[in-house]
Amino acid sequence: MAKYARNGVPAAGGRGKQIGVITKGSLVEGLEMKLDPEQNVEDMKAGKFVVIEGDKNDFFSMVTDMRLDANNQEVLLHPPGQEDALLRQVLAGTSTYNIVSLRPMLMMPKDAGADEGPRPVKAIPSHFSEVQEAMADDVAKIFGCEGDAEGRYFSIGNPLDMDTQVCLDMIRFAERSNGIFGKTGTGKSFLTRLALCGLIHYDKAVNLIFDMHNEYGFKAMKENGSSTTFVKGLKQLFGERVAIFSLDPQSTRARGVQPDHEVYISYDQITVEDIAPLQDELKLNPTAVESAYLVYAIYKERWLSTLLKLEGPDVEEFAREIGAHAGSLVALHRKLKRLENFPFMVSKLRDGDVVDRIMEYLDKGINVVLEFGQQTSMLCYLLVANIIARRIHEMYVKKSERFYATQRPEDQPRQLMITIEEAHKFLNPMAAKQTIFGTIAREMRKYYVSLLVVDQRPSSIDDEVLSQIGTRITALLNDEKDIQAVLTGVSGTEGLRSVLASLDSKQQALIIGHAVPMPVVIKTRDYDAEFYSAMGCMDDLPAEERREKVERDVAALFGE
Amino acid sequence: METIKEREQSPLSRFRSEALPLPDDTEVERTHVGEVVESSTTELIAQARELHGAPSFGQFVRVEADMPVVGIVFNVFTHSIEPNRRPTAYGKTEEELRLEQPQIFELLRTEFQALVIGYLDGDEAVQILPPQPARIHSFAYLCSDEHVRAFTRSDDYLRSILNTSKIPTDELVIAVLRHTVRAHAHAPSYLVQMGKELSRLLSDDYDRLSSIIRRVVN
Repeated sequence: MAKYARNGVPAAGGRGKQIGVITKGSLVEGLEMKLDPEQNVEDMKAGKFVVIEGDKNDFFSMVTDMRLDANNQEVLLHPPGQEDALLRQVLAGTSTYNIVSLRPMLMMPKDAGADEGPRPVKAIPSHFSEVQEAMADDVAKIFGCEGDAEGRYFSIGNPLDMDTQVCLDMIRFAERSNGIFGKTGTGKSFLTRLALCGLIHYDKAVNLIFDMHNEYGFKAMKENGSSTTFVKGLKQLFGERVAIFSLDPQSTRARGVQPDHEVYISYDQITVEDIAPLQDELKLNPTAVESAYLVYAIYKERWLSTLLKLEGPDVEEFAREIGAHAGSLVALHRKLKRLENFPFMVSKLRDGDVVDRIMEYLDKGINVVLEFGQQTSMLCYLLVANIIARRIHEMYVKKSERFYATQRPEDQPRQLMITIEEAHKFLNPMAAKQTIFGTIAREMRKYYVSLLVVDQRPSSIDDEVLSQIGTRITALLNDEKDIQAVLTGVSGTEGLRSVLASLDSKQQALIIGHAVPMPVVIKTRDYDAEFYSAMGCMDDLPAEERREKVERDVAALFGE
Repeated sequence: METIKEREQSPLSRFRSEALPLPDDTEVERTHVGEVVESSTTELIAQARELHGAPSFGQFVRVEADMPVVGIVFNVFTHSIEPNRRPTAYGKTEEELRLEQPQIFELLRTEFQALVIGYLDGDEAVQILPPQPARIHSFAYLCSDEHVRAFTRSDDYLRSILNTSKIPTDELVIAVLRHTVRAHAHAPSYLVQMGKELSRLLSDDYDRLSSIIRRVVN
């Protein structure tokens, strides 16, 4: 082992400095490392990335816990005083020592070829194997490097205390549903915007974003302690590749951008299935939905406009005519009247069906941000998202089936990712069975549609849906139930629990799942001018550089 | 960290070899401090060249031979030359006695006992008991700092001391550490390293360890 570092001296072999040796552990429960006395236990943060050097394999591991230990009760009963500096130093690492718990996440045979990736852990290193700090090479070996030819890897941040990139595998990220979780104010929106930028920049999926708080399209607020600054939205970064649809065009214009399309929804577009998930918001009772089906049976798609046209006393008579329970229909009528207050609800559409327009854009590979402006009520969000997603879903099912039938590459639908906020409203155990989002989360992978679920209360999301989520990007969560929920369906979660609860409240996140080979804690990438230019936005570049870049791009596109 | 050097006025400073009028290395090499009068594999007794002129408790001595034997002084005693005649008390100061009865000092001798911890093979320190004990009448010299460092790089000398039963081990460890730390230029890291080894050798007897460590730095 002479080629590796001892006691803090970087080794010639390109490895990090040694921080301890493995003393005990098991495959199931993880390993324990005795920290070298020279190391400060305060440097061993939960989530830190280390490499255990076994005889045949390198084990890539994460720090999950630390413990102060002493082999002698006497020391603890009569601790050395402040003035006994020497005695403290002598005791450190002998009578008093630090144990760091590690969870091996991946192993890599030492004789592995360059194209061989890391494998799941099926063995543990022997006694007294050295543990080293991970280096940039190790991180790159596992997470890949941004800038590969395929555009597969997108850097989302750095590992804790390291200056190297952690990349998401965007192809894997796009092919399954994903979740972004975290308490309010922990940077969910920033993480979401980062992930969306990655998807759009590398063109791995086309996005439909239900933007409840107008954070993604154009300009967004950056909470920065006392001062508030604004950062660029997707429209500013990607220009023509992003279209803004607005339910509240006035609000959108007030923020300084002209929406590409104004959204209106006619009563005839609303089906009973769209109303059913609103039971909570509208306080409908179960019989109300049955009554709605009765109306639908007779009037088909015009059921809602017919019902809403009726005035108070006529409803009871109408109920008798169609054989519905009068009280229940009256209640349904009264509650659905609330829909008439929405300015975007119209009885007749003037310029075509908005869902068709969205579909056109998506087909062309243009990402759609649907802004809700001041229509921020949950009722409105649920209703609109449901109506649109249901139709998109139907269209995608048709497109996919055509592709399965013809098997022609040009018929293959584009991978679509639908971003929904406050996802627990759509995906709670009750609603998940009724809303279209439950279906998408469960089975739409084969129809090229996946979800990007953004939520602060993952415990309210249906377990069945949670277990289908491929990649989880999680900022700080405190509630035990939420932590439990996020870790549902992830093996070896004992260690991650402590990591998750100890994240910083800003710019830190734990990534688990399909798009990363092993769970990792990151400091998220800065969303700043440097990022803008990496995403190809040239607004902030000096004129000279901008010209050069355009020339380079032109040369790349058309040849020299 | 506080080094020993900084604390000049402590009661234990007489153990500090720099407080003694020590000859420098070249003189150490030249002048013997004693002559071996009793020798075994593990221990030797030497008579000091001068009355009251034995090396200090805890100092390293080297007995000249083909393969010089190295030991640590663990006992110094002065007694009458004649085993059957004990000195008697005169009620006078040493100075007065030297003037009035100088002959009685000729009837006394100082001897020191050393614990053998190894030998020198050429310039190499071997931390194993020597194949043959030191010869009677061979001269004992104080070890140079260089030899002390060679013998104290590892913790084996502490182990030799702690494994010996009939000597005041803790006191000897303290005295020896004070000498070795000086030879290692008062490096705090050396003291920490030895402390850690000591902790292991004492099987984590915290009480003993803390008392030793405190007294070494005091």
